[in-house]
Formats: sequence, structure tokens, C-alpha cells
Amino acid sequence: MRIYSDSAEETLRARSLLKDWAGEGFLTPAQYERMQKETVSDLRTNNIFLRLVLIFFTLIIAGAVALLFLVVFLKPSSDQVASIFLVFFAGVCYATAEGAVSQSRLYRFGIEEALVVCAIGCLCAAIEIGLSGSSSLTREFLSGAAGVIASLWIWYRFGLAYAFLAAMIFVILLPPYWTSSHAAQHLIIALFYAAGLVAVVAARSRHHFDYLDDAYSLVEAFLWFGIYLALNLQLSSVNPFSRWVDIRPGTEFPRPFYWTTWVLIWCLPPIVLTRGARRKDHLVLAVGAITAVLTLATNKPYLGWPRHTWDPMLLGILLTGIALVIRRWLARGPDGIRHGFTAQRLSGRYQQLVDAASTASSLIQAESVTPTPKDTSSEFRFGGGDSGGGGASSDF
Amino acid sequence: MTIQSRLEQWRAQGVISPEQHQHLDGLTRGEPFSLFVELNVLLYAGVVAFIAGLGWTVSTWSAHMGDVFVLAALSALVIACLWYCFTRATPWSPAQTSPSSPIFDYVLYLGSLTWSVELGYLETRFHLLSGQGDLFLLATAGVFFFLAYRFDNRFVLSLALSAFAGWFGLTISHWPSHQDETYRQYALLYSLVVGIGAILLERRGLKPHFFNTYLNIAANVLFWALLSGVFQREDYALWLLALLVACGLSLAWGLMRRQFVFVAYAAVYGYIGVSSVLLRNMNDESAILTYFVVTGAAMLAILVVIARRFGKQA
Repeated sequence: MRIYSDSAEETLRARSLLKDWAGEGFLTPAQYERMQKETVSDLRTNNIFLRLVLIFFTLIIAGAVALLFLVVFLKPSSDQVASIFLVFFAGVCYATAEGAVSQSRLYRFGIEEALVVCAIGCLCAAIEIGLSGSSSLTREFLSGAAGVIASLWIWYRFGLAYAFLAAMIFVILLPPYWTSSHAAQHLIIALFYAAGLVAVVAARSRHHFDYLDDAYSLVEAFLWFGIYLALNLQLSSVNPFSRWVDIRPGTEFPRPFYWTTWVLIWCLPPIVLTRGARRKDHLVLAVGAITAVLTLATNKPYLGWPRHTWDPMLLGILLTGIALVIRRWLARGPDGIRHGFTAQRLSGRYQQLVDAASTASSLIQAESVTPTPKDTSSEFRFGGGDSGGGGASSDF
Repeated sequence: MTIQSRLEQWRAQGVISPEQHQHLDGLTRGEPFSLFVELNVLLYAGVVAFIAGLGWTVSTWSAHMGDVFVLAALSALVIACLWYCFTRATPWSPAQTSPSSPIFDYVLYLGSLTWSVELGYLETRFHLLSGQGDLFLLATAGVFFFLAYRFDNRFVLSLALSAFAGWFGLTISHWPSHQDETYRQYALLYSLVVGIGAILLERRGLKPHFFNTYLNIAANVLFWALLSGVFQREDYALWLLALLVACGLSLAWGLMRRQFVFVAYAAVYGYIGVSSVLLRNMNDESAILTYFVVTGAAMLAILVVIARRFGKQA
């Protein structure tokens, strides 16, 4: 049912690994050339930047075509006609994406991705418009359910991880239809994600060191993070589109539920970290680390304790200390390896990460080091240096 | 066929040695499993969190702690970081060098950020930089450039470029509200200085791996400045022409060097600029939407040709 064959996916994975190993000097240029010739794929991939630009322009075209029909040609029509048109248009987008892959052998090329994204968007919009006479809860539920099903199908069919993420976001629209209790809504979302996690873990157990193992790794990481966000009441609210960053007071939730989630947000990070370490999974480990930091950062609000200005300093010292202790412990093992783990660099991907991060940080930091117009007020408003960019003369 | 089977096949064919096979096969199975990236991200996050807390604490408690204590503490931290870096640095080389220890880069970054906090404190409390703020920023940029080149640190280089942008008065938030001529000229000058400086440094072989960082920043600032000129209601023709020239150069550079991010800049910035001019007096909905369909399709066709001819093929 997957649109790309296993052998094609494995070949692409092999090419990616070969490139990485050649860059690290594990292969000679002659070896790399020979091995590359033996891993030729008929799939047409694209450079990441061209891929993003193709997504951008495909979305512009698809959006303009849809609007052209809706606004210009179907203007006097009813919502039902517009809804039927959007369903039809979603089908056209999806069929075009399928055709582009099967005929032109596109793989993460940009065009086919934008088309399936449009298909999902149009389907959800069609339901919203078609049911405009119904209650908002019904519309939200049905469009959310359609979004979940369509996104999961796209994820399964095309292997696009962000479609799975979209499905997880659509899940958030479902619980308000069943209950108005915020606690129950949080619980339902967490249960949905947990069910997904069980399914993914079961499916993943059949795959070791192949391309599907990599694909399931990202999905598992999303699900662990989703469960954590659903349970951490200081971070999440049920509706991401209107109140995601709204910090709700603990009193809004029943006390047993509130304190159970507090216990769970402390239990989850070690569980995720253990799972990541046992599975040797970078993404799950990363989620474990992020959730641990978030737990530390939200613990005081959870308990109703006041924050102190030096809390981030203590967190920084803790993070640095943990990194140094682990590094030193690993380095003291035979050949710098302990229990199969090492602190040594084995891949060139880190350098790409540093390149991208340093360029991005230059653009962002310009914001924090730029002088604001001279303030004649003598009021003391020092606030710089907290954005990673210095604050040499930031907003005071 | 999995990568493990392929490696086995290549070993049997003699393409790779048994030692290589053992090493590469181990890598595909996560044996050993490298925590290099995770530990570095942890260190970076630790430094950033520490500086955030430091800035917050100093701003909140400076009155209680006293200026002398605050300045002494910040100076001590800066000096300690720099002392660590200068005493443990590997000999300087114009080529890319590895840090002498795993924490070296982060100690340098911590020192640089702490200096920024101290400079901000000085300005706030004593207004020492009043009228001289620009010079201090330029001096800070110079110090950061020196540290970045001495210790081969790209994060400090990004701080240097940011401080240099600050000296020019550039900040992203100013663009939508302050699209004045002077401001745009500073932005153009900044991108030209950074771009030309990058080319000269690369040609002299001084840390040539920094080149892309410079060029990406210069290109983005240049395109933003030109776009802000194109968005003017009057006297935009020259800016549009300059934008088209810049897009052409960016496209040529991207294709020549196989750096497709510059192709992307040319396509997106160019499309936005030209569209804003063509659509500004258009009120007919169907004409606007038709424009997007037709021009979008044209751009798509051009980009597909570029992708098929120059882009990565599997």
C-alpha cells in the first residue's frame, strides 16, 4: 500500500549513509564512487531548498485555483456547492500527487508534498463549509476526524512524517465534542496518543536498522512529546488554535487529576530517556531530554511556588554539568566507549547543524544587539543579554 | 536490500576491507552509538540558559547587589573564560581547526555572551555609551571577529556579525515600520561590506569555511533592503531593477556553486518583489488569482527544470 517500494527506500537510505561516511573519511573517494554506482535509484529527489521553494509555489497555484473557482465561478452558489467543489478539488490534488509519484517518480520533491497538503486542507475546509448550519462543535469534530484519517493515510502512503504530526494536531479537535471537561479532554488526547504509541512500538519491533525503523523513530518521538504536552497542564491547553500557550491555573482542574499529571510529568522523562537509550534512538532521546527540561521549567508553576531570576542560571549549570559528566564518563571507557555509547563524533551531520544554526542565529541575534533609539528617560529597565545574542545594547 | 546486506556484498567483492565492513556495519546498528550531537546541544542550551538567567538576575537585583559587585562578577567571568581559551587554544591556523577540548567552544561562547551582558549593564546604569554606543558596538564586533577567527568558532562569528549589524543600526523589527531611505542604505552598505569582506577573506584563505555564513547573511539583508524599496509607493523602479539584478546574481551564484539556497532566495524574493509591483494597482479578484495561477505555474516550470538539471538526483 505504500507508494514507494521497500527496495527504493532502502537504496535512498544507503546513498545517504554512503555520502555521510565518505564525508567523514570512512570511505575513499574511489570506494564511494563505486558504491554509489551500485545504489542507483529511479526515484527523483530534490535539494532541500528547491524542495521548499517548490512546495511554496505549488501551494500558491493550488490555493489560487481553488479560490478562483470559489470566488469567481461559484460565487453565487450555496455552501453545499462550494463544499462539493472543495471535495472534488481535494480529490484532484490527491490524484495529481499520486500521478506525479507514479509517473515522474518524485520523492520528497516538493510538488507532490504540497498537493497532498492541499488535499487535506481542502477536505477539512469542505466539511467546515458544508456543515455551516451545524454547531461549531460538530463541525470541528467532523473536520478534525476527516483531518486525522486523511493525514494518517498520507503518512502511511507517502511516508511524510509531518502528515503524522498533522494527524496528532487534528486529534486535539475531537474531545470537545464528547465532553466539556478540560481534564477529560486532556485525558482523551493523551489516551489517543498512547494508543498510537502502542501501535507504533508494536510495528517498530519488527524493524531493526532498516528505513522503517528510522521512519517509526520520528513518529514515536512525536507521540511521546504529544503525550507529555497533553499531560503537562502548565504547558498545554486543549485547543491549540486559540489557547495553546494560555497557562491555565491549577484550580481549573480537579485536584486529583492535577496532581496525577504532576506525578506523570516527572515519570515520563526518565521513561522516554530509558526507551531512547535502550533503542539507541536519537529522536526519542532528544524528546526525553526536552521533556526533562520542560518538567524542571514548569515544576514551580505547578507547585505554585514563585520563580526566581536565577532559576535559568541553575538550569544552565545543571545541563552543562550533566553533559560534562556524561562525556567524561564515556571518555574513560575503553576506546571511549561504554555500554555501546560514545561521545565521539561519528557522523558529519553535526557540522551541517552548526552551519545552519550559526547562520540562523546571526539573523536572530541582530535583533538583540541592535541599539534602540536613544531613551531619554532615566527609568532603569535593564533587560538585555537574555536572548542568546548578548544584549550589548538591547532594549532597556 | 538493506544497507547491512549491501555492506556484506561489498566486503565479499573486496570493495571494502573487513575492518571497514566491521566499522560501517557497526555504525548502521548503532554500535557504538554516538551521543556527540546530544551532548553538544546540551552544552549549548546550558550556556544560553545560564546567560538568560544572568541577564535576568542582573537586571532585577542590580540595585541590591551594587554596581561594583555586578561589574566585578561579570568581568571576572569574562576574564576567566578568555583566560581558559587563550591558555588552552590550539595554535592558530587559517584553515579549519578543531577545538582543544570538547567544552572549549562553549566557554568562549559563554565569555562572549557575558561580555554582551556587561556592555548592556554599563550602558543602562552609567550611560557610558551615550553618543558613543555605535563605537562600542563596532569595537565589540571587532573583538568578536578576532575571537571567532582566533578560535575558529562560528557561533562567536554570528555574534560578531550581529554586533556589526547593530553598528549599522539594523534590526529585523525595524523593517516593517521604518522603511526610510537612510535605513535602507545602511542595510545595503552592510550587506555589501559583509559580502565583499567574505570574498576577500575567502580568497586569502582565512577560514574559508566561514564564507557561507557571511554570504547567507549578506544575501538576506540585501534582499530585505531591496524589497523594502520595492514596497514603496513611489520611486520604486530603481529598487525593482536592483532587486532583479540581485536575483540574477543570486541565481547564477547558486547554480554555479551548486548552492541552491541562493536559487531559492532569487525565486522567492524576486517573485514577491515583482508581484508586489504588478498587483499594487489591480483590484479585480479574478485577475489577481489568475495572475497567481499563471505566474506560479511559470515559476514552478522554471524551478522544475533547474531541479532536474542541477538538483540532486537519487
